[in-house]
Amino acid sequence: MSSDQDHLQKTDTEERFDFKKESKAAFAAEKGLTEETVHAISEDKDEPEWMLERRLRALEQFQEMPMPTDWPGQPDLSEVDIDEIVPYIRPDVDVRAGVDDWTELPDEIKDTFDKLGIPEAEKNALSGVGAQYESEVVYQNMQERWEEKGVIFCNMDEAVQEHEEIVREHFMTTCVPPSDNKFAALHGAVWSGGSFVYVPEDVTVEMPVQAYFRMNSEGMGQFEHTLIVAEEGSEVHYIEGCSAPKYSAINLHSGGVEVFVGEDAHVQYSTVQNWSKNTYNLNTKRALVEKNGRMEWISGSMGSKATMLYPSSILKGRGASDNHITIAFAGEGQNIDTGAKVYHNAPNTKSTIESKSISKDGGRTNYRGLVHIADGAENSSTAVECDALMFDNESTSDTMPYMEINESKVDVAHEATVGKIGDEDVFYLQSRGLDDDDAKQMIVSGFIEPITEELPIEYAVELNRLVELEMEGSLG
Amino acid sequence: MSTQLPASISEETVNEISAERDEPDWLLQTRLEALSALEELEMPSVIETPGRRWTNLEDLDYESIVDPLDQRDETERVSAEGAKVLDFETALEEHPELVEEHFGSVTDPQTNYLTALSTALFTTGTVIYVPEGVDAEDVKVRAEMNSTSLFSHTLVVAEDNSSATILERISNGSAVDGDRYFSNLVEIVTGENAYVQYGSLQNLDEDVYDFTLKRGDADRYATIDWIEGNIGSRLTRSDIETELNGDSSETKIVGAFFGHDDQHFDINARVWHNGEHTTADLVTRGVLDDEARSVYEGVQDVGREAWDTSSYQRENTLMLSDDSEADASPKLIIHNHDTEASHSATVGQVDAEDLFYMTSRAISPNTARNMLVEGFFVPVLEEVEVDELRDDIDDLIVARLD
Repeated sequence: MSSDQDHLQKTDTEERFDFKKESKAAFAAEKGLTEETVHAISEDKDEPEWMLERRLRALEQFQEMPMPTDWPGQPDLSEVDIDEIVPYIRPDVDVRAGVDDWTELPDEIKDTFDKLGIPEAEKNALSGVGAQYESEVVYQNMQERWEEKGVIFCNMDEAVQEHEEIVREHFMTTCVPPSDNKFAALHGAVWSGGSFVYVPEDVTVEMPVQAYFRMNSEGMGQFEHTLIVAEEGSEVHYIEGCSAPKYSAINLHSGGVEVFVGEDAHVQYSTVQNWSKNTYNLNTKRALVEKNGRMEWISGSMGSKATMLYPSSILKGRGASDNHITIAFAGEGQNIDTGAKVYHNAPNTKSTIESKSISKDGGRTNYRGLVHIADGAENSSTAVECDALMFDNESTSDTMPYMEINESKVDVAHEATVGKIGDEDVFYLQSRGLDDDDAKQMIVSGFIEPITEELPIEYAVELNRLVELEMEGSLG
Repeated sequence: MSTQLPASISEETVNEISAERDEPDWLLQTRLEALSALEELEMPSVIETPGRRWTNLEDLDYESIVDPLDQRDETERVSAEGAKVLDFETALEEHPELVEEHFGSVTDPQTNYLTALSTALFTTGTVIYVPEGVDAEDVKVRAEMNSTSLFSHTLVVAEDNSSATILERISNGSAVDGDRYFSNLVEIVTGENAYVQYGSLQNLDEDVYDFTLKRGDADRYATIDWIEGNIGSRLTRSDIETELNGDSSETKIVGAFFGHDDQHFDINARVWHNGEHTTADLVTRGVLDDEARSVYEGVQDVGREAWDTSSYQRENTLMLSDDSEADASPKLIIHNHDTEASHSATVGQVDAEDLFYMTSRAISPNTARNMLVEGFFVPVLEEVEVDELRDDIDDLIVARLD
């Protein structure tokens, strides 16, 4: 087989929390996107020259690339008008790069995150937590015992200043180059905030690290960048939550996530996305996995008006493995187009993808996934399983897997099923004294259980609660 | 349209083909309309992912492989009692209304560039007419292509309560040098409660580019079963499609292919569930040896009003060599929740345990592998109702294994 880089180039083509706060900003970029906007953002952040250059290059690529419109059955993006979106809002917080004591936050921001349960979660079960409000991280904390071992968890803007070398090497270079797709390019031009996680060799961070992103202003875009570098033999679990209140204008979330999984390292990335239903959620998330490394993507897509998200793993080292677990729930007016991408570029690599989707009240879910096994990636195996549940006749459930197998010594299996909630199951539960709603809720909880059991308990509870809220009272 | 129209194709060409056959005016008009639509029409859609185009139809040099005025074939037709199995010209003479009513009613001649080209230029083909209540067993159409290019059109009309099992076999007769092009459109129209099994075996020489679109329209209680066997050709693009328009209609699309050397098979099976209580079963099994490449797309599309649908799809590919490649995309598009649907696809090698078991019974590894490959096709062969077709497919598989 040819070198790893060659294969990489193949990939390089392409309200429950619905309370609003009055937005107070120290700095807000003009609507729309021009070179001046990019200069202004970079200047406001006092960035080194190379970062500004990367932003400008990404902007150029963004302007050259056409909107993706020809994917079969894809969500309608005609409403996404970059010129109507404010790409950058810095909240009015004195300390740049966030405070590390919760009590120092302005009341309305503190209140927001209190409602979302961020500090409580931190007290209970997390190694570190960061919270982003609009475009900037407002709170960041890491338990001392991890800091002593050299673990870094800070906001991305700070990382550009404080850990310049690591960032410069990894930021939108080999993992997610801006040329990957139009929204990755947009992200590269106007990114702000996000998390930087660095885990040194052989360090295991036993408790999850968490970030929470919140958009509070109308018509804004959020473009946080998350960079996780896990060195040889290390282990970390990163959790991300997202929400925004509902406004009439559209919001755009176009995050970028890059994960470098070193030899024998293990990274788990979990996210429960609950953006308001006017948000376009167009992300690029990718992991490069070295020899015997392991990447796990666990995602719940509940919110947003339209989501196009296909977390991908490039298994470039022998024995690297990937595990995807995704759940999508599309209600009225929602189009959740999500899935997974895995490139098996080395021998003995392994991937498993498990996808569950639920559509109701006219919502559409689509599993769109790609598994590519390169020539020479012998003894690789992949297993894909998609299950979809439909509630009514207005909804749509699509499954569009793509498999490209260029190696014969492989084991490839794909399976999918679609069905409605069984009348018999509902009848059985009703005969045991449950009402119709409770019965269906219970069936749905059972349906997604294989996924919730993989999540840390807080997230499993949140996901279950979100599903319950989605289901409440609206069942026919 | 990016593809250049071959210089040898013009209105005069089409007029000449039509006049030679003394065709009715409606058919000439249909041909001319298809011809003039070529400019606007696109090639059949092909899957593309970042960095990989699954089949390249654009680069074919139609100029050198299409010679519309020199089309020669040798076709043998075996009828069954009560049914009519006629070449196109005779059918136009004896059943002009039947042909006019149904020609192009299932497959729009202007579906894509290649269907329009085929409609404008076809010179051979068969009309199979099964009147009400007639059971036509073992209808056979054996065609040999003897020219650089050949365009064929087959129309099957099965009236209410009729049934037919059909074998269609296409291969080459006298050898012609250089690249060649074979195009084959098949339409099946069914009446209420009709049953048609259309089995097709393509064993063309390996410098023939082959395009086929076979499509059936199933009426109430009707069943259309397809057997699609692909062994020969340099490149095959095959689309097998059923529209389940009538309530309680059914279809099976059964495919088998065996590629070797640098053959390329682009196999597509699609079903549209439009009526209520419809059932579909899509089964494709393929084997790839040497540098052969396969592309498979299966689509199960369940319409908004298709209550009580059952739809299943399985695709299995066996790779015998390290240089073969297999792309697969089984798709589910579901608009009605009263549906039970599933699909699965696998790619792998001959099972090592099976092989071990057989070699431990003193069977040589090569014989064991060949037996397992032959056995791999059994689920497909079992579906074939015309004995001759089943034997032919099996023989070709065995021959290729030696």
